[in-house]
Amino acid sequence: MIIDVNTYLGHWPFRKIKYNQAQTLSKHLDNKQVDLACVSSINSIFYKDTQQGNIELSEEIKDYKNKFIPFAIINPSYAGWKKDFIYCIEELKMKGLELYPYYHDYKLTDENSIELINLATEMNIPIHLPCAVENIRQKHWLDTNKNLSLEELDQVLAVCENTKFIVSNGSSHEIAEYLIERKKLKNNNVYFDFARVEIFNDDLYKLIDTVSADNVVFGSVSPFQYIEPQLVKLQYLTIKDIDKIKSDNIKKLLNL
Amino acid sequence: MDLFKNNKVINWHDHVWLDDKGNLDERRLELTIKAAYDTYMDLIVSSLPVLKGNPTPEEFRHCNDVQYQAIKKHPNMMKGMAFINPGYVKESLEEIDRCINEFGFLGIKLYNQYHISNPVVRDVIEKCIKLDIPILEHAAKLNYKPELQPFTSNGEHFAKVASLYPEGVFIHAHIGGGGDWQWTLKAIEEFPNIYLDISGSVCDEGIIEAANSYIGSKRLLFGTDMSFSSSIGKMLGADISYEDKVEILNNKKFEKYLMRRGI
Repeated sequence: MIIDVNTYLGHWPFRKIKYNQAQTLSKHLDNKQVDLACVSSINSIFYKDTQQGNIELSEEIKDYKNKFIPFAIINPSYAGWKKDFIYCIEELKMKGLELYPYYHDYKLTDENSIELINLATEMNIPIHLPCAVENIRQKHWLDTNKNLSLEELDQVLAVCENTKFIVSNGSSHEIAEYLIERKKLKNNNVYFDFARVEIFNDDLYKLIDTVSADNVVFGSVSPFQYIEPQLVKLQYLTIKDIDKIKSDNIKKLLNL
Repeated sequence: MDLFKNNKVINWHDHVWLDDKGNLDERRLELTIKAAYDTYMDLIVSSLPVLKGNPTPEEFRHCNDVQYQAIKKHPNMMKGMAFINPGYVKESLEEIDRCINEFGFLGIKLYNQYHISNPVVRDVIEKCIKLDIPILEHAAKLNYKPELQPFTSNGEHFAKVASLYPEGVFIHAHIGGGGDWQWTLKAIEEFPNIYLDISGSVCDEGIIEAANSYIGSKRLLFGTDMSFSSSIGKMLGADISYEDKVEILNNKKFEKYLMRRGI
């Protein structure tokens, strides 16, 4: 079984994206033997009011509940964020919180951000932090110039020790080493995907050595990226705990 | 992996590197060779470029010596492309002769020292045309500012030189190298002597389909540029015909460069 921690639905304003509707992405994931996918709304990244995208997402996937696990995108610098987040969790039954400080122009260390992260932690909701959506080197001239700030992540980990974080779509092996050096991974509360980690040069093994197989999850960035590069890594990964990475870790994290 | 297992696979873009002491990084070489065998590749065409600054003739000769050392360790799996700095015209032309005649390299590799359309590069291009060898050039259309590699060639630089030298064979490196691949495809579309390798870590859904649609499989080459899983995955995931995939994995136009070396 494979559970994908990082997929999207909605309209990306900078490039035509195939499989960006629930029906098409569901079928696409089926074809690639991905059984379940955490999904968030691309529209929530671009709407001023992220909640409109969260509600759209909930409506979009209502007939695909066996395929998608919705994550809420909340901007803690936008009015009403607390009410919106609670609504997403309690009414829309969303299972995770996804943050985009580099799109929504706030810092993870802002007072409201910390308050939102602590609220999610109290509600037993993990925080998904994608390092980027698309590779910054090919960015559209209106797209952001920034990726996830490691300094802010480092600082947030210091004050949110009990929060569960998922860091995806970045150089996970380097980020994990950076955080280990700063003694920020001692609670085993940070999970990493390997979407941008190569296996054939041993970087994926380095990541697993650093954080253990208990803290590595599968993420494809579909429909932005092909799923096959991640499947190739799984095919060549020779560890006995591979089921943890494919699905068990995220099942446990999300209480599935 | 049946696509790779059942077809000839020529990897036209990968590298060996120097270690901290300036010697061949044998650990990285062995990982690359193991990856090539594990993923059913038949040949890796490799080079050792200097990524920063303006390498002297002594430096680029050393790079090619080290590349040849790697080839001698794995003669059945690796062939070379001669890295030169075209700013040193006389020394570059001599080095091309040395690498082609003494080392059996297949072509040349240019990095980001000069745009490929810069007149400085013309003697080198004319030499390659005379020898009938391909030119692989580091390339990208980078939209990120500040520009960290101001002399990296983009598709328009290739287009200029391809129209000036229609008999030249120019390989635009790594469509998945992190630049604006849609822009690149439009820039090189109409120039039949510009080829494109599919390597690089960027594995955007649709990148291979778009490349195949704009320039066709006969102008596409398989490569990894150290991103094996991304490059292999792109080929496996692309929604193009099996025949096109087979053509990309072993581009027929480039077979002559291998055959003259007995491959």
